[in-house]
Amino acid sequence: MKLCGIMLNMKSKNVFKKYRLKIIWIILILIIWEAIAKFSSISPLAFPSLELIGKALVQSIISGEIINQMIFSLGLILMGLILAVILSVILSSLSIINPIIENFVDTCVSIFHPLPGIALLPLIILWIGTGSKAVVFIIIHSVLWPMILNMIAGFKSIPQVYKKIGRNYEFNILKIIFKIYIPASLPYIIAGLKIGWARAWRAAISAEMIFGASGGSGGIGWYIFNKRVFMDTPGLFAGLIVIIIIGILIEDLVFGKVENSTIKKWGIS
Amino acid sequence: MSSIIKIENLLKTYDQRVILDNINLTIQEGEFVCFVGPSGEGKTTLLNLIGGFIKKDSGSIKFKGNEVIKPMKECVMVFQEFDQLFTWKNLKDNVEFPLKNAVGTVPAAHKKLSKKEINQLSAKYIKMVKLEGFEDFYPNQLSGGMKQRTAIARSLVTSPEVLLMDEPFGSLDAQTKKELHMTLLDIWKKTNTTIIFVTHDVREALTLADRIVVLKDGIINKIIDNQDKDISENRVDEITKLL
Repeated sequence: MKLCGIMLNMKSKNVFKKYRLKIIWIILILIIWEAIAKFSSISPLAFPSLELIGKALVQSIISGEIINQMIFSLGLILMGLILAVILSVILSSLSIINPIIENFVDTCVSIFHPLPGIALLPLIILWIGTGSKAVVFIIIHSVLWPMILNMIAGFKSIPQVYKKIGRNYEFNILKIIFKIYIPASLPYIIAGLKIGWARAWRAAISAEMIFGASGGSGGIGWYIFNKRVFMDTPGLFAGLIVIIIIGILIEDLVFGKVENSTIKKWGIS
Repeated sequence: MSSIIKIENLLKTYDQRVILDNINLTIQEGEFVCFVGPSGEGKTTLLNLIGGFIKKDSGSIKFKGNEVIKPMKECVMVFQEFDQLFTWKNLKDNVEFPLKNAVGTVPAAHKKLSKKEINQLSAKYIKMVKLEGFEDFYPNQLSGGMKQRTAIARSLVTSPEVLLMDEPFGSLDAQTKKELHMTLLDIWKKTNTTIIFVTHDVREALTLADRIVVLKDGIINKIIDNQDKDISENRVDEITKLL
C-alpha cells in the first residue's frame, strides 16, 4: 500500500512537472488578458474581461445550451469520422489488391486531398442543400484523403514476411487485410486518425457557421456565430474555450490513451 | 518411412538466369535435411519452391503425391528475419495466432478449437521452446534468440507435417545458436516433424541434419548421409571443399 502510494505520488509529480511550464504560460496570458480588459480603452463588447467570459460560460453550461450544441457537433464529427474510416479501409484495401484501383484512388487523392472542404461549400449547397448532411459530407471529405494516404503508406510498410505468414496459413485476402495489414499498420492509421480528427473538427465548425441551425440544433459553430450576431462577445469566447478544451481532451486523453495502450506498448511508435 | 516431398527435374530461372537446374530429391517423413551452400546458390529459392511461395519453371515438386502450387498450412516456414513476429501481439498471442485464425490447421481438429484447447496447445509449445514466464512479453521486449524460439513455437503449434526453416539462426551469436540447436533437436525428436533447414554454416548442418544436400552452381553437388552426426574438422573440411 505504501509503495503504491509513493508510486502514485511520483506519477502525479511527473504529470505536474510535464504541464508546469504550460500552466505558467496560460496563467501569464490570462493576467495580460485581464490587464488589457481592465485598464485599456477597448470596449468590453470587443474585449470582455475574464469574469464576464467565465459568467457566460457558467450560464451556458447551466442552461445546457453549450453542452447540447457540443454534443450535436461531436455527433456529426463522429458520424463523419466513422463513415470516412470505413470508406478509407475499403478504398485502401482495394488499392493494394488491384493496381488499376490503386491508380484510380491515387488520382482521386491527388485531386481532392489539397482541396479544402470549405471551398466545396457552394457545390455542396447546390447538390445536397444545407443542414447536417452537408456538414457530414464536408467532414468525410476532410478525413477521407489523409486517412487513405496514411493507410496505404501503412500497408506498404508491412514487412514482406507478414504477408508470407498469411499465405502460409492459406488466409484469403480479406483475412490477410483484417488480421495482418490493418493491425500492422496501426501506427499509420492512428496518425491518419489524428490528422483526420483535427481536419474534421475544423471543417465541422466552419460548415456549421455557414449552414446554421437545422432541426433546432446547429452545433458549436452555429452557437459561436449566433453569439457574434447578437454581439454577445463573452458568450462567443465561452464557445471558443469549450472548443479548445474539447480539442485538448480528445488529443491528450483519447489519442494519448490509444497510443499508450497500443503502439507505445508494442514499441513501434 | 514413406516419402513426403518428391522433387523431380526442377528448373527455376530469374531473368533468364538459371538458379536451380535438374534438382531431383526425395525427402522421407520425419527426416531432418539441411540444404548447404554458399550465398546465392539457390538454397532459399529451393525452400520457397517447396513451400509454394514461388513458381517453378518446369519439373515437379510433390507433397504427399500432390503437386505444390501454393503455400500450404501443412508445410510451415520459419524465416530468418527477427521481424516475423507480430509486433502487436505478445508472445502467447503470437503462438496462438494460427490456432485462432486458421481453422483446421491442427490435423486432429478440423473445427474451431475451444479456448481451453488453444491455451493447452500454446502452453505446451511455449514450454517446448523454453519460454515459460515470458508469455506476456511483446516482441520488442524479447532478444533475437527468444524471437526465433517464439517463431518456432508458432510454427509447431499447428502440428505441421513439414517445417521449412530458412537460416533461422543466421543472425544469432554462437552461444544462443548452440542452445537453439539443442532445443530444435529435442523438439524434432519429440514431434517427429519433417524438417528442411537451410544454412550456409557447415557445422550447423553437421550438428542438425540426417542428410546434407550440398548445392553449388544451382545443382545438387552431393547428398551426404549424416546419421552419425560427426562434427570433426575432417568432416567439415570434406564438405567445405564441395562448396
